[in-house]
Amino acid sequence: MLPVLTRNSITNVCKGLRRFSSALPKSDTEVSKLKTEKLKREILEFRHAYPEFLPDPKIEFRNKIREKLERNDMVARRTQVDIPEFYVGSILAVTSSDRHSGGKSNRFVGICIYRGGCGLRAEFILRNVIDHQGIEVLYQMYDPSLQKVEVLRLEKRLDDKLYYLRDALPEYSTFDPNMEAELMPEGAPVPVNPIKVKLKPRPWLERWERQNLQGVQDLELPEKFYIKAAQVATPWEKYDLMKEYMRTIPVEEQTEIFSEVQSKLQSLEIDRKKLKRKRVIVKPTKLA
Amino acid sequence: MNQAEVSKLVSQLKTKVNPRLRKFRSPKGPEGRLDRLRKTVTALVKHERLELNYPRADEARMYAERLISDAIRYGDCHKTTMEMADYWLVEKQCVHKLFKVLVPRYQNSTSSYTRLLSAPKPYPGTGDLRAVLELKGNPYPSLLPDTHTNRNLIHNVLLDEAKKVYRSKKYAEIASKIDAAEGANGVKEQKPDEGVPEAVEKEVEASDKKDSVDEVK
Repeated sequence: MLPVLTRNSITNVCKGLRRFSSALPKSDTEVSKLKTEKLKREILEFRHAYPEFLPDPKIEFRNKIREKLERNDMVARRTQVDIPEFYVGSILAVTSSDRHSGGKSNRFVGICIYRGGCGLRAEFILRNVIDHQGIEVLYQMYDPSLQKVEVLRLEKRLDDKLYYLRDALPEYSTFDPNMEAELMPEGAPVPVNPIKVKLKPRPWLERWERQNLQGVQDLELPEKFYIKAAQVATPWEKYDLMKEYMRTIPVEEQTEIFSEVQSKLQSLEIDRKKLKRKRVIVKPTKLA
Repeated sequence: MNQAEVSKLVSQLKTKVNPRLRKFRSPKGPEGRLDRLRKTVTALVKHERLELNYPRADEARMYAERLISDAIRYGDCHKTTMEMADYWLVEKQCVHKLFKVLVPRYQNSTSSYTRLLSAPKPYPGTGDLRAVLELKGNPYPSLLPDTHTNRNLIHNVLLDEAKKVYRSKKYAEIASKIDAAEGANGVKEQKPDEGVPEAVEKEVEASDKKDSVDEVK
């Protein structure tokens, strides 16, 4: 007896055949697609550690040729001076040559309270309290007088800028200048320090109550300050899609930029890791 | 000196982005500006084609493009995108339309999602520039003139000439065939078969039809 083929069964068989025939090449293309997607995502991850490689989003300041030349210069500078990954809230030690005393250098330890600028004009501010005096130093990241940048503690804070440390109690921005670098396990995510800072009583340098700060304890202000802050707040601004667009660089451009410098930056990172392994771990000494 | 924000990834817009945003002065301030724009964006998603003043159309276009590109990039399970859609689409049934109709429509699109055409100014009027803003792939008849069947387009002119040459060649061939047949039958002094030219005519017509199918559309 021949099996009776209904229309449904025929179409099912056909579908099965089609699926079978398309299964092999499809899986191959899918795998390669997934691989490229993963690679793209990895490339885009560079934006956190190297934000200064992205150009200024302001359209008047854009110049593709200049940006490319600057990126080349930045990579060239990075082969001379090791500038490790750091974030606002990390504790850094910067050694720079002193132009007022030839042949000598200064080492300054402090917490990074700001990181900004792009291209060769990238900069960061370190803050510390030395002899009961708050000190802040602004370093140009690609300044040739910079000799060495060490990250003593790699961490993030709850805010993008820590300017409020200027009005905080001095204990929150006091760091030992002889601090040892803390070693972190390889491949671990950068920890976020959830510390809440206590501010000194008013008067302040800025109106902190209007800035929606996360890393600050209750400000203990009279009610009228909060009422005024609510009046001048602009809660609709987060919905302005075009303003958001004009503050960033689109994904396509970011991928292009980072795939251009990626191989060089990665080889620099590998060199740094090798150096780290070579370094002898010193027994920690008790600090003053 | 600014540093680009890296917390959120956005797709590149496929339309021209103005260097600065229009103010649209309103008694409610910058909030009023966004209120006006979101009315337009909602109407665009709802009706798919609008006629309005040019500045508003140009501004609303950028916002509509951003909304659709975010919806494509992040989908409807992304909290921030959903909040944005909730804010920008005042009528809530449009949120469903955005994620279920527009996202599949533009998923693989390589050009912009909207089209901005300048509309005629009414006379006598205020003299404001008018524009038509529409979503691509809408169900309405096209606003652009149909230039595909224009006989004066260079490729159609060239095709016509090629057709003429082909025809004349074919006729010459047929004529030579008939001559040859006549030459062979000339001794017998017979009239040429009348069936041959009819068949030849058909052949030429068929080849003509083929050409017209190939014609640029």
